[in-house]
Amino acid sequence: MTASRREIITSSSSPPLRTRFALRFLKNLMKIKKSTPLGHSSSLPSSSSLEIRRRTQLIKLAAYSSMARAVGSRRVWSRALILKLSAGKRIGHRSSISLSARSSLRCLGMKRKRSKTVTKRFAAKKRQLEGPCPGVVELQRLVPGGESMDLCGLLEETAHFVQCLETQVRVMRSIADQLP
Amino acid sequence: MSSRRSRSRQSGGSRITEDQITDLVSKLQRLVPEIRNTRSDKVSASKVLQETCNYIRSLHREVDDLSERLSELLASPDTDSDQAAIIRSLLM
Repeated sequence: MTASRREIITSSSSPPLRTRFALRFLKNLMKIKKSTPLGHSSSLPSSSSLEIRRRTQLIKLAAYSSMARAVGSRRVWSRALILKLSAGKRIGHRSSISLSARSSLRCLGMKRKRSKTVTKRFAAKKRQLEGPCPGVVELQRLVPGGESMDLCGLLEETAHFVQCLETQVRVMRSIADQLP
Repeated sequence: MSSRRSRSRQSGGSRITEDQITDLVSKLQRLVPEIRNTRSDKVSASKVLQETCNYIRSLHREVDDLSERLSELLASPDTDSDQAAIIRSLLM
């Protein structure tokens, strides 16, 4: 066990993705925890459903942004996701956090709305890919930055995206299991 | 469809070949648990794409549930020693 720990610290290559993601995500979690107003006495937990829902959105954003940053700019989807999330944050600076969170998460294909400019710009590419099978359009919507990719690149990005999502879920689950 | 695209001998890298796409589709198939076990010649490419979309959506739902769970857990006061223990256990 100590050998692997030494490996993480002294190896010249960077630590595995799940470690990089876990560290970033935990840092963000602690930030969220510190910034939410806890009751002055320990007898009053901040458990109102509104608070919980707000925090849920923040945690979700933190998870996706930590993962995108841990991957870095090596992948098209991570670059697109980082851009979209930081754009959402900029919008939300004046307005409420939940509004910016919702607009940021929309880019993950969770809501079906799409901006007009994006559709116009990539309509040609879409038509090119719509031929093979209709599932491609759906996939493009789900994978960040998918609109501008050809089929080959899209499939590659999807594979990496799915692997990273699985890592994200695994790390989040192990944190949730360990916390109490 | 992609069957119209001729197999290019020139390894220009920009020409997409049938084989490349088939390889990528089978790679995706191995990742998605729903269709991982069926034989690749029995699963059509569109089914792989469809199942991948469903899988991504279910992963998003899991992230939602886990975020909610974490949010409820963060509501209770926590000591710093717990957090250090978590980090240590995740890294080892």
